[in-house]
Amino acid sequence: MLLGTAPQSLDPGLDYTTQGSEFNWVVYTGLTTYSHASGAAGGQLIPGLCSALPTISNGGKTYSCTLRKGLVFSNGKPVKASDFAYTVERAIKIPWGGSGSFITPIIAGASQYAAGKAKSISGITTNDATGKITINLTAPYGPFDNVLAFPSLGLIPSGFPMKVEATSPPSGDGPYMITNIVPNQSFTAVRNPHWAAQNIPGIPAGHVTVNVKISSNLQANALAVLNNSADIFDWADTIPGSLLGQIQSQAASRFKMVNLGGSTYYIFLNVTEKPFSSQLAREAVVTGLNQDAMSRLGSGTLEPACYFLPPAVPGHPTAPCPYGTPGLGNLAKAKQLVKQSGMEGQPVTVWSETRSPRQQWMTYYTQFLNQIGFKATQKVIADATYFTTIGQAKSVHPQTGFADWNQDFPNPVDFYGPLLDGNSILPTNNENFGQTNDPYINAQVKKLGSTPTTQLSSVVSQWQALDEYVARKAYVAVFGYQKFPFFASNRLNYGALVFQPIYGWDITSFALK
Amino acid sequence: MSVISGQSPGQGPGELGEGFDAGFESEGQLPPGVGPWKLAWRRLRRNRVAMFFGFVFLLIVVVCLLAPVYSTDIAHIGPNYGNPTGTFTLNGKTQFVLSQIGIPIGPTWDIHHYFLGADDQGRDVAVRLLYGGRTSLMIGAVATLITMIIGTLLGVFAGYFRGWWDAILRSANDVVWTYPAVLLGITIGTVLNIHGIGPLHGTNALVPAVVIGFVYVPYVFRPVRGQVLTLRERDFVDAARQQGLSHWRIMTSEILPNLSSTIVVFVPLIMANSILLEAGLTYLGAGVQPPNASWGTMISDGINNDIPTAFHNVLIPGLMLVIAVMSINIFGDGLRDALDPRSKIRVAR
Amino acid sequence: MLRFVVRRMLVMVALLIVISMFTFAMFVLLLPNGNPAALLAGRLATPAEIHLISVRYGFDKPIYIQYIDTMKNIFTGQAYSYQSSFNVLDEIRAGMPATLSLAIGAGLIWLLVSILFGTIAAVRAGKYADRVLTVLSMIGVSMPPFFFGAILIYYVAYKANIIPIGGYVPFSQSVGGWFGHLVAPWITLSILFIGFYSRVLRSSILDSINEDYVRTARAKGLSERQVLIRHSLRNSLIPIISLWGLDFAQVIGGGAILTETVYNLHGVGELARDSIGRLDTITLMEIVILTGIAVVVIGAIVDVLVAYLDPRIRLA
Repeated sequence: MLLGTAPQSLDPGLDYTTQGSEFNWVVYTGLTTYSHASGAAGGQLIPGLCSALPTISNGGKTYSCTLRKGLVFSNGKPVKASDFAYTVERAIKIPWGGSGSFITPIIAGASQYAAGKAKSISGITTNDATGKITINLTAPYGPFDNVLAFPSLGLIPSGFPMKVEATSPPSGDGPYMITNIVPNQSFTAVRNPHWAAQNIPGIPAGHVTVNVKISSNLQANALAVLNNSADIFDWADTIPGSLLGQIQSQAASRFKMVNLGGSTYYIFLNVTEKPFSSQLAREAVVTGLNQDAMSRLGSGTLEPACYFLPPAVPGHPTAPCPYGTPGLGNLAKAKQLVKQSGMEGQPVTVWSETRSPRQQWMTYYTQFLNQIGFKATQKVIADATYFTTIGQAKSVHPQTGFADWNQDFPNPVDFYGPLLDGNSILPTNNENFGQTNDPYINAQVKKLGSTPTTQLSSVVSQWQALDEYVARKAYVAVFGYQKFPFFASNRLNYGALVFQPIYGWDITSFALK
Repeated sequence: MSVISGQSPGQGPGELGEGFDAGFESEGQLPPGVGPWKLAWRRLRRNRVAMFFGFVFLLIVVVCLLAPVYSTDIAHIGPNYGNPTGTFTLNGKTQFVLSQIGIPIGPTWDIHHYFLGADDQGRDVAVRLLYGGRTSLMIGAVATLITMIIGTLLGVFAGYFRGWWDAILRSANDVVWTYPAVLLGITIGTVLNIHGIGPLHGTNALVPAVVIGFVYVPYVFRPVRGQVLTLRERDFVDAARQQGLSHWRIMTSEILPNLSSTIVVFVPLIMANSILLEAGLTYLGAGVQPPNASWGTMISDGINNDIPTAFHNVLIPGLMLVIAVMSINIFGDGLRDALDPRSKIRVAR
Repeated sequence: MLRFVVRRMLVMVALLIVISMFTFAMFVLLLPNGNPAALLAGRLATPAEIHLISVRYGFDKPIYIQYIDTMKNIFTGQAYSYQSSFNVLDEIRAGMPATLSLAIGAGLIWLLVSILFGTIAAVRAGKYADRVLTVLSMIGVSMPPFFFGAILIYYVAYKANIIPIGGYVPFSQSVGGWFGHLVAPWITLSILFIGFYSRVLRSSILDSINEDYVRTARAKGLSERQVLIRHSLRNSLIPIISLWGLDFAQVIGGGAILTETVYNLHGVGELARDSIGRLDTITLMEIVILTGIAVVVIGAIVDVLVAYLDPRIRLA
């Protein structure tokens, strides 16, 4: 298997990347986990190491469940309930990239622990004898079931060092375990010998050993899979447009572009700065943007769209787009809107990542802004530093540029919370790039966000209404959803492969013909 | 490697180089009545190959300077104008600039429409080639200017005053020298791109020019310093000193003129290497920033997006770059022979 | 001789310290707030987490203390990449086989071929062979390695399918695979140096033919061939070997970034490039120090070699 981008780390205590999660979710099973299935079914939460999904009580503030009997880590040691508390503590101490959003402010006592004021997290109580785990939250947090499924909260043995062990990550309890880590070069996922005996329903034991090579040359990677000298092209990489035609014609039976429905590509529009403080100027962008052109530049990775919430996330609107069906765009109308807004000739800096096709999209967008009457220039930032650079809301105050979001879990609050809620604007590492601070959005996010994931269906229509509102206000210029390449060699049984909507390739489904 | 450490002048940073640095003595034995410059020009003119390539280079410069004319009056398309869904008519047939899956059209050989084809964003390669040439040549020229001025000034200063100043300047140059040129270039380039100093940030094409100019300073500093070390012991410098001329006067009116042939020889060398380094840094993402065209951005766009479907996007800018750099190198070689027929000056030292 | 080498070593150690300071300063002083913590903390980080990371890596301390700590960590092998938390030594060790293979293979090729070409060009100065070699060397010094690499990859690897498309196979895994993956990088990297070195050697030999000791040798009745090999060539090799020492050392230290990148070799050069992109200062510093050490060690070896070759130094 070839990986174009290395995971940040294979230690779950640190990693917060799609490449890491792709492996870690089958190495570190959490109290809950996701169904090993393609499509919408894959977004379903199932019990992981707990015998059932947690029971929610105390008005949504208490979650509790009991570990299954006879669980063992891949090193053969038994799994204890207190290992959960230790795992959370370690994720805070390292800290794991998502801990500031999903643990510290959420679990009672976690912030005191993080600040060093407490020796343990008061909100977590565990009983090793019965396996019972009880977690108290600071306030109701709807997607907490999803949080428990993060690979970074997948249990590890107590006492494992409280620092990142990049080449020898902790043992977990999952169908696979990671060995032979060579920094920036390769690692191996082998089957966990202790897994099958634990009989956990819904989590397959896997078939093969997966040798992973990290190789940033996507062209070479795609060609290697095409001529069957490698077996899997990583789903999170992009197949170069120059090879797409060849692959489509020569390997149609083992290649598919799949919209997993969890990722949105959008252009953020800073509402606190001219010209996009004007709603008309924002409407002009949304009206005139030519998604067909962008789709062509994206060589098949883009599915044009207009709504912020992608299709696999509950709350994705079904109504038609407020400013015309995504497609060729209405340039004349856009020009007219810019004139009306009085922002004609305003200078605009377009921020862009380096990698293809994102840079090409922003080059196109810059040209488009110039066409409709702004004075736009493009600023390209190295991929690794892009989001933290534009996240410096106070010192950089970016006007507009590329942004994307890939779901952490299928709950709309994962999109709205960090990206559009006015309360989440931060001086650094800001994710609300447009500085959107609309009282209606803020109130709805607060209200709807506390609904547990398992009961989301009751508020779906309200989320839809909110998402349509955002589209009408043109707070962000969504241009589409990402389609991912699922491309394998002819040695694998392609029909049996699972494209997990959250984690991409399900390596437990890899099997030789 | 580094294109450039390839041309790297030489000995490791240390004491060893001394002996080699001092070998510049070309005055003397001139035919009476003919100035050294005139003589050099005569010799250069007789070198047909050098003159030919000098002319080729001049031609490239002129054509690139005419980029706006081609862009507005002949091709009617700007260098950064992407046209992903566009069509045009060629020999009565409608052609897509990019195919449905984004593969660009190859050279049409129609001077008005995508003469050399389109790139992966539907931009006109011929137009970008000319504009890119302007950028690459401008960076080469500015970088060379920076290198020559700083390298010569520091070299004269260090060689003339010797002592502590010399020691400090030499170690500073050794630091820059020990760094592989490409590594140093991307380090400074990246840092400047992210943060910047004054106007030097982001997409400004002066960023790579300044970075490259800085990287090559030691390549001029070392030989200049070596030559000044011998010059300052010469009779005419002694005489000037005894006349009570100021250090400044001695440096500018006695030493500098004697360095002129060395400096002239270095200009094409540094220029050729600067253009190469621009392409290298850009390929690594730390040089010219998109969407600006330069030969470097075009080659790297081609390598990243167009192998194997549209290899012309690598080949065309690449060949242009090689021809331009080779012309400078061959002309520079001839210039060196003309100024110093005994070839005492060994390429970039 | 020993004193000379020791003195040179001391100078180089001082140089290394300055180089490391220079690298450190470039990142720390020029970055916004000089604090990479915000970058390391990731997209969803809170100010509290950024602070935690700042404290962990000591980014909150005065710069000179940060520098001393960093150097201490590097020399005790306790330097960990900011980004991935890998021990930097492990990272370098992982990239070393590819880089060493590239350097040794290409180093030998470019040294031997330049000596051959340079000598032929000098002996045949002005003749047909000289002209052809001059043209070739001019093309060589004008060819960016990534462009030449792209040409080989497209025509030889992709079209003709003779060599693989980039990547590196360890020697221990498959000797044939190792060789096959390295042939093109070797040639690509060598071309640059061959063009330049053979020119230097050519003029150096032509110069030395007029030197006294060569004339003496010739007067003693040695054949032209003996004069060429024993005296002229031997002496003319000195600048070549000095050049080679620095260039070879830089390639070992990851200096062949362009070649490594275009062929996707995953060597130290690519590591350096990636760590610059990620602003992983500590990894870059360790690589730069490695380059410095390589320059020092190989420089010392070259000194000894030069002393052996140079009759003037040996007589003295």
